[in-house]
Order: sequence, then C-alpha cells, then structure tokens
Amino acid sequence: MIDYDYLRPDNLEEALRLLKEYGPKAAIIAGGTDVMVKIRNTRKAPEVLVSIRGLNDLRYIDKAGDYRIGALTTHRMLEESDLVKTELSALYDGASKVGSVQVRNVATIGGNICNAAPSADTAGPLLVLDAVVFMEGPDGKRSVPITEFFTGTYRTVLKREEVLTEIRIPGEMEEFGSAYWKHSRRKAMNLPILGIAVSVKMDDQIISDVRIGLTVAAPTPVRAYKAEDFLKGRPLSDEALSEAGRIAASTECCSLRDSLRGEAWYRAEIIETYVPRMARLAAERISKRRSK
Amino acid sequence: MPDNLFVGKSIPRTIEADKVTGKAVYIDDLKRPGMLYGKILYSSHAHARIKSIDTSRAERLEGVRAVLTGRDIPDVRVGFLKDQTVLKRDVVRQYRDEVAAVAAIDPDIAAEAVRLIKVEYEQLPAVFDPYEAMKEGVPLVHEVDARGRPLKSNILPLPWKFKAGDIDQAREDSAFISKDRVSTTWVNQCCMGTSGCIAEFDQNNNLTLYDQTNVIFGHIGRITEYFEQIGLRGKKIRVVNPVVGGSFGTKLDTDIYEFIAIQLALKTRKPVKILFDREEEFFALPPRQPTVFTIEQGCDREGRLLFRHCEAVLDNGAYTSWGATTPSVMIMPMSSLYRVPNVYFKATCVYTNNIYAQAMRGYGNPQATFAVETSMDSLAEAAGIDPAEFRLINRNRPGDHTPMNLKITSCGLEECITAVKEKLDWDEKREEGRGVGMASLIHVAGGARVTKSDGHGIMIKLDEYGHVDVIESGTDQGQGSPTVISQIVAEALGVRPEDIFLTFGDTALALWDAGTHASRHTFMAGNAAIGACAKAKRQILEMAVEQIPKIIKRDFKRKKRKDPGFVEPDLDFTLIANPEDLDIRDRMIFPKKDPDHPYFKIPLTQVLRNGLHVGIGQSKVVVAEEFYDPPTEMLNWEMKGNLSMTYAFGTSGVEVEVDKETGEVKILKLVSAHDVGKAMNPTLLLGQIYGAAYTGVGYGLTEEIKVRNGRVMNPNFRDYQMLTAMDVVPIEPVIVEPMDEDGPFGAKGVGEPGLVPTAPAIANAVYNAIGVRITDLPITPEKVLKALKEKG
Amino acid sequence: MKKVSISFTLNGNSVTAEVPETWTLLKTLREYFELTGAKEGCGVGECGACTVIMDGQAINSCLCPIPEVEGRSVDTIEGLAGEDGTLHPLQDAFLKNNGVQCGYCTSGMIMSSKALLDQKPDPTEEEIRTAIAGNFCRCTGYVQIVESVEMAAKELK
Repeated sequence: MIDYDYLRPDNLEEALRLLKEYGPKAAIIAGGTDVMVKIRNTRKAPEVLVSIRGLNDLRYIDKAGDYRIGALTTHRMLEESDLVKTELSALYDGASKVGSVQVRNVATIGGNICNAAPSADTAGPLLVLDAVVFMEGPDGKRSVPITEFFTGTYRTVLKREEVLTEIRIPGEMEEFGSAYWKHSRRKAMNLPILGIAVSVKMDDQIISDVRIGLTVAAPTPVRAYKAEDFLKGRPLSDEALSEAGRIAASTECCSLRDSLRGEAWYRAEIIETYVPRMARLAAERISKRRSK
Repeated sequence: MPDNLFVGKSIPRTIEADKVTGKAVYIDDLKRPGMLYGKILYSSHAHARIKSIDTSRAERLEGVRAVLTGRDIPDVRVGFLKDQTVLKRDVVRQYRDEVAAVAAIDPDIAAEAVRLIKVEYEQLPAVFDPYEAMKEGVPLVHEVDARGRPLKSNILPLPWKFKAGDIDQAREDSAFISKDRVSTTWVNQCCMGTSGCIAEFDQNNNLTLYDQTNVIFGHIGRITEYFEQIGLRGKKIRVVNPVVGGSFGTKLDTDIYEFIAIQLALKTRKPVKILFDREEEFFALPPRQPTVFTIEQGCDREGRLLFRHCEAVLDNGAYTSWGATTPSVMIMPMSSLYRVPNVYFKATCVYTNNIYAQAMRGYGNPQATFAVETSMDSLAEAAGIDPAEFRLINRNRPGDHTPMNLKITSCGLEECITAVKEKLDWDEKREEGRGVGMASLIHVAGGARVTKSDGHGIMIKLDEYGHVDVIESGTDQGQGSPTVISQIVAEALGVRPEDIFLTFGDTALALWDAGTHASRHTFMAGNAAIGACAKAKRQILEMAVEQIPKIIKRDFKRKKRKDPGFVEPDLDFTLIANPEDLDIRDRMIFPKKDPDHPYFKIPLTQVLRNGLHVGIGQSKVVVAEEFYDPPTEMLNWEMKGNLSMTYAFGTSGVEVEVDKETGEVKILKLVSAHDVGKAMNPTLLLGQIYGAAYTGVGYGLTEEIKVRNGRVMNPNFRDYQMLTAMDVVPIEPVIVEPMDEDGPFGAKGVGEPGLVPTAPAIANAVYNAIGVRITDLPITPEKVLKALKEKG
Repeated sequence: MKKVSISFTLNGNSVTAEVPETWTLLKTLREYFELTGAKEGCGVGECGACTVIMDGQAINSCLCPIPEVEGRSVDTIEGLAGEDGTLHPLQDAFLKNNGVQCGYCTSGMIMSSKALLDQKPDPTEEEIRTAIAGNFCRCTGYVQIVESVEMAAKELK
C-alpha cells in the first residue's frame, strides 16, 4: 500500500535537517506534479516526503546584476513576469508551455530541472541563458553551471541531502535575445517531441555570440556547441542558419532516437527547421528590445 | 397553424442545472450501502498459456473480500461471437485479457491486492498484423470456435459482402478509373467519465446494475443469457443509469468488466463497483475499429460514377465485439454516398493478438467515408473535373433509391456542397502551401434497424399540478435530450418546458428501446413523445369536456352567493362539447373556435384537479404511452434494406495551410454543413456539430492509440493526442433544413454526422495544398513530411 | 495508516478534515466532505476534471497532497451558487450557451474559468483557451465553452 510520512518544514535549515535525518528514506516534494504522478503510477512511495512548498523564501524572480530565480518559483510566476518575458524570453516560452495553468500554478522551476526529464521545458532555455544552479546541503552551498547539472536521464548532480535553492542567470545575458520552440503534435498538455532553444547576441547583422540548447535530443538536455561555433561571427543569413541547423541535428551535437512520440529522422528535420526559426526570432526580439 | 412556442428555439439546458453545480451523480459518485470495490488483473502477454495463478497473498491482505480467477467461476462464453470467457482460465490472447479480479472494502486495497497476485505464463507465438494473420501456418489466435470445433484460420466467419449491378461491365465502360489503398487506426472514444458499474443482487438474486451505458436494454438480453448458464435462470435484471459521462459508442456491448462485477457481487453478496481508471479506459476499453481499404472507382466522360469496388480488412483483435459489425454500416456509404449504380464491397475480419474494437461515433462510417471520399478526389483528378463539381454531378437527390435499397426522402446534399464551396471561396487562387478539400456523408437519421425492433417507448403522466413526468426508454449521455424532449413534449402537449420532468435510463420504469445510438434519439423519442402526447392530450380534453361546464357552473354559483345581482351569461356550450373542439397551448385549455373565450379558456391544472378529485368514484389520471417502431426494414441476406426512415447528409469543407518544413497541417477554416431536417434547438444542435467536427479533426490529424506488439503504448491523455482548447479549429456551421416529413417537427438525427466527413476533407485539402495524398490516418506531420520528401 | 488533522477554509467555511496523510485534496473533498463535483478523470493532472481553486489559483486537486491544504482557502464548484440557489453567471452561461453536455468536465471547466475571470475580468479568447487548456472535453469541441465564458464575463461586468 502507498504509505508515507509527509513532513512540511517551513525553513531551509529544517528541510536540510530532515533530509539528513531520513537519508535514503526521504525524497523532496515541491509542487508535486512529478512526484505525485510517479507515486500513483508506480504505486510506490518513499517512506518520507519532505515538502519544501512552505519555503516561501525560495519563491522570487529578481534582477540585481544577475537574474535570480528562487527554486520554488512556479512556472506560472515565470509566465506572468514581465522581466522574464522581455529579457529571458526563451524561459518565458518554455515555462508557459508546461502542462496546463493548473500545473503551472504549482509546478516549480526547481522541480522541473531536478526531475531531469530529457524533455524538461525550462532546461533548453536555461541552457542558452548560461544559468547557474545553486544548491545547499549539509556541507554548505555550491553551484554548478546548468551544462554540468544533468548527468543522465532523470539524474543530476544534486545530492540526496541537498536542496536546489536558486537559478542564477548572468546579467550579461540581457544583451542576448532568446527563444524556445516546443515541438509537439497539439498545442497544450504535451511533452515536446523536440525542444529547441536559441539565444543570440547581435552585432548589427552579425551573430557575435550564440547558444543553442536541445531537449529530447539526447539522454539529457544538451548544448549544440558545434553549431554555435559555426554560427559565431557569421551573418544572420539563411545559409548560415541552415548549416547551423544541420550541424545541430547531426551526431556531432545530439543523439536522436526513435521513440513513441517521434522518430529520429523527424526530430532531425525539426532541429534543422527550428534552429534557424528560433535564431531569427531571438534576433528579432533583441533588436526590438534595443530599439525601445 | 400557429408558430411553435418551443420547438426550434434555443431553450437553455436549465433542466440540467445539477451538472453546473456539482450535484449530478455519475457512476464515480454513486455509492451503495456496504459497497465493495472491484479491480481486475490483466494479462502480461499478448499470447500465453497460464501455468499457475497464486492468489494467496492477495487473499491475505486486510480488507480483501474476494479474489476470483477463471477457476472460481463457470467457464461460460460471452461476447458477440461467444469467443471469450469472463476470466480466462488457460490461455490469454491479448494484453487486456482479464485473468483475475478482486473485491475489497477500498479501491486502494483492491489495487494493491491485484498487484499481489502472481501469475506464471508460458509465452505463445503471437500475430499482430491482420494480413500476416490471414496467411497459412501463422499462429492461431483461437484453436477452436464457440462450439469447440477446431479452427483452421484466423479469418472470422463473418462474410460481409455486398453486390449490386455488374462491376466488370461498369469497369469496361468507365472512361476514368482510380484506385487507392487507405487505412485508419484505433482511436479511443475518450469519454471523460470512465467506464464503470455497480452490480447489486437482492436476497432473491435479482440483479440491479447501475451502469454507464447508452443501451440499457441491450444488457438485459446478454446478461439473461449469461444467467441461464450460471444457474440464475429467470432472475430479473434491472439496469439503471447514473448521469452518464459521455458515450460516443462505448457502451453498445456488455463489457467483460460488467460480468466481473456481477461475479464479484455474487461471491460477496455485496454491491460491487468497478470503475476504470484512465489507463484502463485506454487499454481495456474496445476502441474504434481500424480498417484497411482497397478502393477502386470509375466514371464516364461526363464524370458520372459507374462503379465502386472496395475490399476491406479489419484487425479484429483477439475477440469479437461490435467492431466486427462495423462493415454493416460501411455498406451504407459504400453503396449510397453519391449515386453509384454498380457496387461491390467485401470486408474480412481477422483475429490477431491485438486489442479488439467496438463502436464509436459514426460506427464504421468515418472509416468507409475516408475511403470513398479519398477515392472521389482521386477519380475527379483522373477525370479532370473539379472535386466539388464532381461531387455535385454525383450527389444524392430526394427520391433516390440506392443500390442498398435506401429510400432517400429529404436530401439537402446539394445545398451542403454548395454552401461549403461558397464559404471556402472554393475557386479562389491560394498562396503556396494552402489548399481546400471537401467530403460528404450519408448516415442513418431516422432510426437504424440493426436489431429486429428499432422501437423506442415513452410514457407520459401528468399530475394535478401540471407537472409532466416523461419516462424515457433512452439514455442521456449529454446530447441535450432532456431539453429537446421537453421542448417537444411541451409543444405537443400544450405546456411549458419547465413543466417537464424526465426520467432516463431505468429498465424497470421504461418501455423498451434499441439504444441511444445511431443518431436516433431525437427522431425516435421525438416521434414517440408526439404519439404519447396526442394520447395524453386526448385524455385531458375528454376530461375538459366533462369538467369545464362543471367548473363554470360552480364558479357562477359562487359568484351568485357573493353577489345576488350576478346574471349568468348565456354561454354556447357547443363550443366545448367534444374533445375535438378544444386545444391546449401554453398551459391553457381553450375552444378552437374561440381561443380567447372569457369563460371556456381555463388553466389545464384546474381541469386536471377537478378530473382527479371528483368525489363520486369516477376520478381519472392522465397517463399515456407510445411505443414507436418505424416502418423500416432489416437488412436482408444481400445486405439490402431501407433500415432508416430518413438519412442525414452533410459536407465538411476545410482550408488548410501546410508547413512544408515540418509537415504540420493547420486548419484555417472548417465549414461543417449539415442537412438536419429541422433544427429543434439551434444552440444545442451547434453543440453536436462542433463536438463531432472536433473529434473528426482529432481523427484526421492527431489521434491514434499506439499499439506495439499488442500492447497499448500511450494509455494516457499526455500521449494520446486528443485536442485541447488551445488547438483552435475555426468552425463555421451551416444548417440546412429541408424539413423531413417523417421526423418529429421535421427533424433528423445529427449526433454522428459532424464527425464522419471531417478527416477525409482534411486529407483532400492537404492534397490540394501540397500535392501529396496521405491515405493513412492520422495525417501526422511525420507522414506529410515523408511524403513530401518522397515526392521530391 | 497515519491520519492527520487538516484545517482550512472550504467554500468560505472553516473546516477540519481527519484523513490519512496520503490522501489528496481531491480524495478528501470527495470522500470526507462528500463534495463530488470535482472528478477524478485521470488522477495524474492531465484532464482537469478535478480542478478547484486554492488561494485564488486553479489547481488539479488530484495532485495536491492534503497536508498542503493546511491554512489554505479552497473553493469548489459546490460553493459557487448563492445560498438561495442562484447560479453564478458562469454556471448560468454554461447552461444558456450549451457549454455543458455530458457534464463530467464541467465542474473543473467552470472552476478554471472562474479562476481566470477573478484575475482577468475581461479576457481575450486566447486567454480563455489558455485557462482551460488543461481541461479536456470530448463533447463540445470547446467552442460553446469559450462562448459561455465570454458571456459570463460580460454578465459579471
């Protein structure tokens, strides 16, 4: 039978203490949209659920030099934040496409990346926004770049006794425009067949810097470094973008698979199509913001 | 004839206010005292021999009241071809085979107990492709038939064959011929309320089955037959509907879980509820029948169809439910959609180790229409005729007798095709990647004689306060019948819709009904209601003839007592001497010749009260019933016969935009034009059209149950792609009202038609847009892109 | 199984539920309070039939562990009509405009719509569709549901 103790610490210290106390018996629950589903589907639960939903200090979006997003910030908060929408547009694109309003009202950004599904909708955007993930545990605080956060499908560097506390995006990213495309068969309530995030920094018509993030393209969300390298310093032209798309779709950048939701060849096509489209959208967004 | 007061008006669904306040009681919400919860253990293999079942751990779990396996209950065959048993003893033939069942005091305990049952299997070779399954030497899904005779092949003994005219000659005579292979897959009905029932026996072993079904009387025959074989001969069965959370064809058959609930209730002597969770609803509920068609058509130089030749192969799955009978409905569009004199249709059903199928909104018609309408476009192209023009040339017309012997009475197909052309700016030159397509339909719309009785009964009873109880034999699964039938009764009886109180779905109270399926309810119940109302009205007016003079005289006496100077007016009582002289409208009885007569116009309730409370041993109540069974024909051995009183026609027109880089199809506009006879309630009618068209778009573009090696891989709403509110389809409905002479107030059925032509219209539009034809539903971006690449 | 005592505001009234700790808000509403308007259409947050409003936000009550409801305010379909039975404009509009057919999704659909109108009294069609994207309906094709919400918004102004 499904049985667990449900503990609700109201501050981080208490949460960390409980995680230490219960060790492997415990698991963290935040918004619950992944954990509760997993418990129901598998009919298995950890002995102790440590709910961090009461840690209201971890619910914030602000910009003080860097952009700082508390781990318990809900997708809905991201979606409704003007700051996110205008300056971290890809993150807006990703957060606003997760599940439904009901899910976005409770599901947190920390939960989305800790769950580490290859399809996580905020992962691609965070990859192209150079996010840094902050964690706190019995040994203190530490941080890793998001590119090092995911270690495998549903696996991250987060240790059992740690809590993810904050996601930080460097202030310099304000000079980038960004966009994310969630490719799916219908318009809502979906997991992506493929996710493509692009951020670009423009020097007139030249792409002076660029990041490309792909989800469902490998066991973890990945950056398409080779495609980025190719694009840097090139003009925002059809030829350059198409070539970047081709590189991104190749085995140099990802390891596409056939799955229930889509076939590898089709995923490659989508990367080839949407790397250029998202790059253009990102460039358009930054130029619009600049002209304001 | 004065205007209708209620019929034809958009009366709100106030009668269903419980549904917007959380009060409506669905099977989910219904509890009986002492009720237990049943749960089923399904097979872990597509084909395997059961070596052993260990239920000991489940039995020991606290709260478990019964654990049943095939060894614990009589091994009785059930189902359409009696090709399965309730709990499988020796062999499982599909992943959804029911192997064991549990009843417990709580659903969680039941679920846990099922997990504790250990079954040992020995895997057997399986077959999943119907074409493969027809070959010699492949594994047999069934070794023996229902009577124990050995089987040599996986082909079912259901020879669906239709022939009219001379195909060979017509082929020779044809100037143009087209040939296509098209296929459709499994789709789930997706009732938001999952399947469920409560089985409850009284002390004398009479059964009450609270059940999510749209064919309440259908259960009785099947369960009676089952009872006869398990020692319960002669027991009474009552089927009662809670509020039904959608149907869409799901409940035509008695499903295995219903027999299991009955067995668990028998074993425990307690009411037992089985309610599917969503996953079960996706893998253990028979979905729409998948079909592969090879269709060939020919026409002359003028574009007149000369023949249609089609062979279909149906993946029957491991057992047989109503899916295997969908060819009987496919024959209708095959033989009768557009004028075509020479027709050949053959359908072969093949056992495989896949899931089996049943009915879904349209019942075989969406599959067959996809084939016919794909072929219509191909042939139009071959003949160099515009597809709309080609359809107009071949359209059905009022008065036609089709090769299947359907007698077309009212027919608004020409108007529908023309409306679609107009609304889509059909002839306009479009941007690259855009295109238009259309498809039409024919469907039964005045009942469907698929069983020997196509009857529907209604009982009407008035109390002395003017409340009208209507005991409906049908079911209400959300189609709007409570409102529409109350409009009809109010109109026919002379009362108001708010006076009407309907009881649906109770076999103990109602007369008989063939089922709320086949788009037949408004037509059948409407005609039954009109008949019952005429009888009730006659009784009221007979009562009025007796009572109105008495009422008036008593009134005069009273007036005289109060005012001795009161002079009785000289009244012409011949105005109300006979029932025929009177009428009722808007709760008032009045003489026809003088409708506003100051004394003879009297409230209906006054007459009813006086008729009941007579005081001299002559009191009367008003009650009437009508069992309406239309003069239609069963299909004969040649599969011919006029099985419906009238037929629905309609045309879907679609404008699409195709993204050539991703293969995505966007619907820019969907025109859904339907000949409905007469719109009884325009707002509710639109709801039927919108809903059906939307489901049709899902059928065309997104929905598929992914079955891999017999297993349903996407048994959830996340991966089964039913459309959301964000998937906007701009629908423009067109209502054509030719007034059907046999329909109640001119109406025809409209429940299914909106779905039928939608998918082929989309496919045709895609072809028009990008020059590739997707002949395999759904039209996914992958298929479009692949086809584009192959085309180069 | 350990029981917990959870106090919260339900449809404006202070209540306390004594239920197993592992129950969800949905199960508590349906089994403990016998408020069966919210339905379990899937149990995993994919269909929206269980939607209720918690502290002003639409949520899937099937995914909400009951301990999280402590001290919160929950509104369900049962609390929407006036005490005298007067329907809320959304309920009225759903009846008038055929926003309800089988009715199974309706409680959730109306609660999602209410959460929207409480926040945005004058929503665009797109905003309405976004608000109910997590509420599946098989009967209506959503057209008349969207129209019903628009109608209610006008009525509420």
